Amino acid sequence: MLGNDIKLAVKSIRSAKWRSFLTMLGIVIGVASVVITISLGQGVRQQLIGQIDHLGSDLITVRPGRLVNRDIAGNITSVNLPAFLGMSSLSENDFRVIKEAPGVGIAVPFAAVNGIPHNDSVEMPDALIVATNENAPAILEQKVEFGAFFSQEETTKEVAIIGQRVAEKLFNENVPIGKSISIRDRTFVVRGVFEGFQSSPLTPNTDYNSAIFVPYEAGKRVSGGNVQIYQVLAKATEKKKTKTTIQAINDGLLNAHAGQADFTILKPNENLIITNTVFNLLTGLIGGIAAISLIVAGIGIMNIMFVSVTERTKEIGLRKAVGGTNRQILGQFLIEAVILSLVGGLFGVMVSFIANILIRISTSLQPVITLPVILISIGVALVVGVIFGMAPAIKAARRDPIEALRHD
Amino acid sequence: MPVIELQDVSKLYGFGDATTVALDEVSLRIDKGEFVAVMGPSGSGKSSLMNILGLLDRPTHGAYELDGRSVARLRANQRAKMRRNQIGFVFQSFNLLPKLNVLDNVALPLTYRGMTQTRRLKKAAAMLERVGLSDREYFMPKQLSGGQAQRVAIARALISDPSIIIADEPTGNLDSSSSRLVMELLADVHKTGNTILLVTHNPELTRYASRVVFMHDGTIIGDERSKLGDVPKLAKSLYFLPRKTIEDDLAGVSVLMQEVEKEGPKKSKKAKNSTKQKTRKYQSRTKKKGTK
Repeated sequence: MLGNDIKLAVKSIRSAKWRSFLTMLGIVIGVASVVITISLGQGVRQQLIGQIDHLGSDLITVRPGRLVNRDIAGNITSVNLPAFLGMSSLSENDFRVIKEAPGVGIAVPFAAVNGIPHNDSVEMPDALIVATNENAPAILEQKVEFGAFFSQEETTKEVAIIGQRVAEKLFNENVPIGKSISIRDRTFVVRGVFEGFQSSPLTPNTDYNSAIFVPYEAGKRVSGGNVQIYQVLAKATEKKKTKTTIQAINDGLLNAHAGQADFTILKPNENLIITNTVFNLLTGLIGGIAAISLIVAGIGIMNIMFVSVTERTKEIGLRKAVGGTNRQILGQFLIEAVILSLVGGLFGVMVSFIANILIRISTSLQPVITLPVILISIGVALVVGVIFGMAPAIKAARRDPIEALRHD
Repeated sequence: MPVIELQDVSKLYGFGDATTVALDEVSLRIDKGEFVAVMGPSGSGKSSLMNILGLLDRPTHGAYELDGRSVARLRANQRAKMRRNQIGFVFQSFNLLPKLNVLDNVALPLTYRGMTQTRRLKKAAAMLERVGLSDREYFMPKQLSGGQAQRVAIARALISDPSIIIADEPTGNLDSSSSRLVMELLADVHKTGNTILLVTHNPELTRYASRVVFMHDGTIIGDERSKLGDVPKLAKSLYFLPRKTIEDDLAGVSVLMQEVEKEGPKKSKKAKNSTKQKTRKYQSRTKKKGTK
């Protein structure tokens, strides 16, 4: 019976190809947007987890502004998204406090330097110029692939260590050591090129492949003696002392800020929480659109099924006359609706795979489509088919056979 | 042994002042193997009777026994199950499903019995052979002539070995030669022991029946057994009375009826013989042509 119903449904769907296709389109779009959204989120999360693994679980990040709210136990309860846009910065004094807090092994300031780097006529406006100290490669766990990083004594020297993308963009070669980059009126000589960084797009973490690292004092000079430290990374002398070290940094900074906690100290896994918050917002937004699209698609299916039931009134009458029970007629039309939406769902998954490939090619995002996501989205399509196919199927099942047979 | 036994069956439509009586305490007993023709003008309750006998509808009052089982008060699903096993319908407009091929159309009643596809199609093929359309198995209904379509419909009605076949004006949409083919097929089916109920407006067709029931205003006004091949007297008296007024013509009394009336039943029998002779002649002629 079921096999027969399926065959019949396929036949009936195929006999009205255009109508069926247009009806399915809503489901295709809905399912595709669900799959793409979830896979994007998962991809970003995986990239971020990879980055955190790389950086190690003992990395302490200090940022300006109060980005998160915590409960008494220190767990993040909510994230203050507007704080990410704030113009506040850590001062050099703050850096000193962090560096001298008990337990801190190394501390590295990351300060943004203003200006667009260029090499003759080639500009790179999306490059990030970071003024930092000699410990940056150590704290980022990143090797300098070619050349060398600057030393502690060279903090005023105008040299630059660049990410791979900067090398490609500004110099159109892999190892432009010895060449120079102009930033404002200063010229920096390329001293080294970093290995490729693991990037994690759409997170508050920056992509250091597009960064130019310059010595702190030299960078400060370019910016007219004033730089914005957007974060300080630190590590404890010993890994197991990380917790007490964080406490020490916190106390020190609170003291320096006259008791006001307008800064944030994050453990590596807490970075993930912030990303999740940003992403949940985005996922919720697109998910809402997808849900609306699925509802509209369901209504489309319901509409077309009502039309189909009316068109096939005589068929219903005949099927009942030769012994089809109400339940069997209901099953036939319900299965037709479900197949319509299921096929739409399958197409939707196919579209999302294609979109996945396109996203991977054209952006640095790496969406991941997992089996549960596919199963869930097809399940959603199935549920939509059942819910919106029910009313027309009930209408078909309740037709009076005599009147139905008389219908033209 | 009665296949159908109706006892004081009434069917009312509407409520209060608007109540119409479609069937008024009809009692009818049909035995196994009978070929019953039901005649009567439009609105005489033929269709209501057919719907009740065919278990498409329930009587308002009265008892109905089908194959010894009381079925008057059955619920819709039980009636559907009775229909699929015990009743075969043949409709005026064939009612073949346009999207299914001939074989699938014939097998349709069996799908609701949950029979496997191979068994279904095997049985359907056998039925098609019985109605002489084995070479049309994979045709679509659109590709069939009216007579062929009706024969497919008869095969469909026969496939579940029903207790009774209800044919509602099966020749109403057919030309006379297709009509004869279809009626002869029904007569054939009758000869093999099936019970057939035929609704018709055409008194000529009562020749095929072993019994004719006349209805008027929801009651049975005449019930006559006749030999196969004869038009019963009642049919003559009810349908062949001189109706030569202009009003009748305007009311659309069929030309066919007037023709029949002119010739009279015996003549028309001759006429039938002569058509047989004609066909024989035609056959021999075509044979000769073939040999040439």
